[in-house]
Amino acid sequence: MPNSKLNWLLSALITLGSLLICLLALPTRSPGMTLMGIGPNWLLIWLVAWSLNRPVVIAIAAGIALGFLQDAMTLTDQIQIVPTHAVGMAIAGGLTAILQKQRYIQEDFISVALIVFGMAVVVETSIAIQLTLISRDISTIWMMQQRIALSSAILSSLWSPVLHFPLSRWWRRLDSTEK
Amino acid sequence: MELVRRWWIRYGLQMAVVSLGIAIAWILRQSQGLALMETYEFLSRPFQAQYSAQQELQDAKLRDLQYRLTESENQNQRFKTLLGDEPRITESSSTWATVIGRSADSWWQQIMVGRGSNDGIKIGSIAVGPGGLVGRVTNVSTYSSRILLISDPTSQVGAIISRTRQMGVLRGQTQDSAVLEFFERDPAVKPGDIVMTSPFSTLFPPGIPIGRVRSVNIDKQPAPEAIVEFSAPMGLLEFVKIYPFTAKE
Repeated sequence: MPNSKLNWLLSALITLGSLLICLLALPTRSPGMTLMGIGPNWLLIWLVAWSLNRPVVIAIAAGIALGFLQDAMTLTDQIQIVPTHAVGMAIAGGLTAILQKQRYIQEDFISVALIVFGMAVVVETSIAIQLTLISRDISTIWMMQQRIALSSAILSSLWSPVLHFPLSRWWRRLDSTEK
Repeated sequence: MELVRRWWIRYGLQMAVVSLGIAIAWILRQSQGLALMETYEFLSRPFQAQYSAQQELQDAKLRDLQYRLTESENQNQRFKTLLGDEPRITESSSTWATVIGRSADSWWQQIMVGRGSNDGIKIGSIAVGPGGLVGRVTNVSTYSSRILLISDPTSQVGAIISRTRQMGVLRGQTQDSAVLEFFERDPAVKPGDIVMTSPFSTLFPPGIPIGRVRSVNIDKQPAPEAIVEFSAPMGLLEFVKIYPFTAKE
């Protein structure tokens, strides 16, 4: 059917387009959107929105992919395997999907913001652990971890409805038309 | 007699006034007009532009220092050429670049600039901001490049204390300060000393200002260290100047 094909194409465009916008929003620091020089983690917000209604395996896979994308934005010329964002993002995606499956949470703004808050802490902590394993300067890393995790979690959770609301609405409408 | 008396009655007062005037003028003359100067100063006080004069002097002083610095730099350059030590970075090959973004996550301290390989920027080029050293180019695309700031914890810069030539390694701390670890047990360093890149730095050319020593911790193990505040405002960078540079082996 041409109609369902068109729908599918539109859905893919919106999903990928929103992802691209989130990716390109990462290096921006708009005035009023930063806390101690740290901006919201848009990729994480997107990942939580994506993982909320999906199987755990798919959420984990999406997390790994997004982690690699964020690596691509930050890695320097000395080729590094660790630290990678993929570990933290995979855990965050998986946890979100499990939480939703267990019905611990509803899909309202407050719960989503809470999940994003928790997952931001998970993501930053996973990077801190990897840095601890490869570096000798542990005290600096964990001082940074406190600052980064808190600012990133606060900002990301506060901005999460901006992204979650239109995306989840769109995906839900898509589901209902398919059925 | 009658004539004199009448004249005195008529002009006596005026005579007295004029005499008094002469006396006062004499006093003023003998005191070299100090009272007049004071009065003039008092009356002209609302019109005196003290601040601008001061500023003018400061500007002049600054210009004087700048000219002398330029002269010293030129001399220095010439001596180095005479000694056969070619300058490693040259003003003529530098490019200005606009900062278009910061790092894509909170752990790295990077900036993105809107100049790339098309403008002659290569990996390893040095970025200098207003005030001092900023970082080095780590990734280059055609029209943009990414710079790892020296405030990044993974960034290490060989540094030297300008006054006493003590050397050490400078590691970033993500904020506007860095830690300078010395090689020697008892370094001659005190707060306020200027920190530059050292001649033994492999990734950076020597003699670029980095910052100022804020505090010194001599008892730190395994090596004494100093906290250095960057002279370039890392959080407020809008433009950087990029110099081509190839790392020493």
